[in-house]
Amino acid sequence: MKNLLNIFKLIVALSLPFSLCAENLYSNLNPEELKRLNYLSDNIRCPKCSYGNISSSNAPISKDLKEEIAELINIGYSNEEIFDLMEKRYGDYVILKTDLDDNKTLFLVPLMILIISILLVTTYTIKKSK
Amino acid sequence: MATRSFLVLIMALLVFLISTFTASLMQTNEIDLIENQEGKKLYISEDLYDLNGNKVAVESLLEGKVLLNVWASWCITCLVEHPFLKKVTESKDVELVGINYKDQDFNAEKYLIDNGDPYSFSVHDLSGSFSLKLGVTGAPETFLVIDGVIVSHRIGEVNMEVWNEKFAQYF
Amino acid sequence: MVLNNWFFWEEKWMPISNATAAFILFFYLLFQIFTSNPFLTFDVEPNNGTDLNPLLQDPLLAIHPPVLFTGYVLYAITFSLVIAGMFRGFGKELFKKLKFWAGLSWFTLTLAILLGSIWAYYELGWGGYWFWDPVENIVLLPWLAGTAFTHSLIYSKNKILLSWMVFLGISTFLLSILGSFIVRSGILNSVHSFASDPSRGVFLLSLFAIFAFSSLGLFFSKSVLLKSNWPELMSKQYLLLLNNIVLLVILLIVFLGTLYPIVTEVFYEQKLSIGPDYFSSLISPLVFVLIGLFLAEQFLSNLKANKKNTLLLLGVFALIFLVLFSTDLSPINLSLIFVCLVLVILLMRALVELTTTKDIKIMHKVLGHLSVVMLTLAVLANHQYSESIDVKLKPGDQVEFSGSTLKLNSINIEGKENFDTVVARFSVNETSNEKSLISEKRVYKVGGVITSETGISTSIIKDYHIVLGDRYQDGSWSIRFSINYGIMMIWISSIILLLSMLYGTIRRHGY
Repeated sequence: MKNLLNIFKLIVALSLPFSLCAENLYSNLNPEELKRLNYLSDNIRCPKCSYGNISSSNAPISKDLKEEIAELINIGYSNEEIFDLMEKRYGDYVILKTDLDDNKTLFLVPLMILIISILLVTTYTIKKSK
Repeated sequence: MATRSFLVLIMALLVFLISTFTASLMQTNEIDLIENQEGKKLYISEDLYDLNGNKVAVESLLEGKVLLNVWASWCITCLVEHPFLKKVTESKDVELVGINYKDQDFNAEKYLIDNGDPYSFSVHDLSGSFSLKLGVTGAPETFLVIDGVIVSHRIGEVNMEVWNEKFAQYF
Repeated sequence: MVLNNWFFWEEKWMPISNATAAFILFFYLLFQIFTSNPFLTFDVEPNNGTDLNPLLQDPLLAIHPPVLFTGYVLYAITFSLVIAGMFRGFGKELFKKLKFWAGLSWFTLTLAILLGSIWAYYELGWGGYWFWDPVENIVLLPWLAGTAFTHSLIYSKNKILLSWMVFLGISTFLLSILGSFIVRSGILNSVHSFASDPSRGVFLLSLFAIFAFSSLGLFFSKSVLLKSNWPELMSKQYLLLLNNIVLLVILLIVFLGTLYPIVTEVFYEQKLSIGPDYFSSLISPLVFVLIGLFLAEQFLSNLKANKKNTLLLLGVFALIFLVLFSTDLSPINLSLIFVCLVLVILLMRALVELTTTKDIKIMHKVLGHLSVVMLTLAVLANHQYSESIDVKLKPGDQVEFSGSTLKLNSINIEGKENFDTVVARFSVNETSNEKSLISEKRVYKVGGVITSETGISTSIIKDYHIVLGDRYQDGSWSIRFSINYGIMMIWISSIILLLSMLYGTIRRHGY
């Protein structure tokens, strides 16, 4: 197990450089843009499937969408603009990314409960132990 | 005491939860997962060609009532709705334009010869990119476009029932 | 199977006390009505799989729903034990039984989740080993509650927060019923969803309501009788209580994230998706808190003995983290370092204990927690370092990616009994190692379903994962080549976790 750990640490140290080839499907994108493409396709749901994002689904429409997103990135669209475009075309349902601003309750409720309950328990404990 | 008030809170939440579930079970009008394209403008950014390789006059799609039908020779449901589409073109005054979706032109032509051709022409969309931008997720799909605006969009087969519900009001 | 278990339990049951047994039997009768449903559920799920994709006829897939439901059903036992305890008081004997059954059902549920996730990793289009899919989340709910429950048993033995333990025991079972309701009624969209059956849904929902209100109502009326003590500050019990809180907050997050789409659908008539993004961003910090809690627990006696040193240590920790924060490391790198650190510290401690006393006191506990830390590490590494690339290759071509060379050796079409298949043979070279992988694209003769068989080559550190895509006009193929780190570690640590759960459960009973 220690060996494993060392190896992982080694990997931490070496941030592996991307090397690209001409055979790359999205050859017109640079490494940075490829990362964006992966991020976007991880966070957009395949509209034809019951679940699953377009990078993991093998439905033809997912491939088409991925190609279109690559194209849009190439033209100079930002991530936000691409999300907007997809949302306009297919609705909220396809956007897997959850926006903090649109769903404040979803993020704040658990956090508040966490803080309140820890405080409650701790104060109660201190009170009881006295 | 604290336990009891906590329990009351939990039970109140449960009541809310269960009523939401009940409401969800009772919900009869199925909400489409994917938004349909109604109310949007028909936006065509690329050159379109029909099955014979002739360039399509895009303006013709943007004027008057046009019924756009996405079909393909590999699509079984398209074959099912095909007779109904023929009936529509015979009885109604509407231009039916096909969008041949991800299909080889020879297969598409054979399909039209075998089953009859109700379309005034069919846009040949081999890569599917025109359809993709239109919001098509598969075949068959049918759009009713009036003066360049999509007024009705059906994902799936069109039959008499669907026609009466979604399209008949415009004729 | 369910019936078999039923008889088996009854036997186990008898020695407890005649009075409670009579009461429990009543619950079994109610429960039997319930058992008809798990049956239906797992009978339909594989079916759903088969019409989606012929390759879902996989032993792993076939087995995971039944195992899962066994876990659910086993939680019914702890539930009835807890109910019995409310009437008869919690004696030593009862705690022994509770621990055993809680451990066993916990083990079963974990096993089911692991089986499902291994299968999902191999099958394309199921989002990898874990995708925060609604049904996955629903299974996670009783698991989380069960985890909290098992932990709470440790302190409630000393009558500390007894009512809290009772609440957890009840809610674990309730969440299992809720889980089967949500899966069966089809009110959520998921990869697991199949033709929904609203009538079954109504039945399950009312069952859930009956169980929920009767058990909670009973708890309400009995809660005064349950005398509870309160733990001391900074005691082991106090830390366990914090662990419970964090676990339940995680549960709440999963719960909210999974059910929120239903709420919006009912009230705003709008479908929306809550993706992995939400869950991982909220839950991962909490997992670190859990790990930190365990770390503190391990060194509790040292910490207590020497208050000055504790403060010093905390100060050093804070300083280290401040330094780390000031560097521009990404949060995920930071957490990787944190988890690595914890793992090293824990391992050191275990080793020291092993060498000094030749024995680790509660072996399964240390091992179990170590495996959780390892699992976290593996998941983090997987997130951080996994890469993939889409390439277009002709037979004979090769492509360089992340220090490895992928070569497409050959593509052949082969006919098999019930499908025709395109077999692509790859080799992956890294430094001096060479691995060969096979990825296929199959067309089934019946129904013409096309499936992709992923080519996976596993090693302890990383997996190569290849998906064969479409053929291009010029004879080249699109290929998705991924390097996934830590997958094997995820499986290994889960298995260690399972083993330590099992050992911890049966150890006390001498079976």
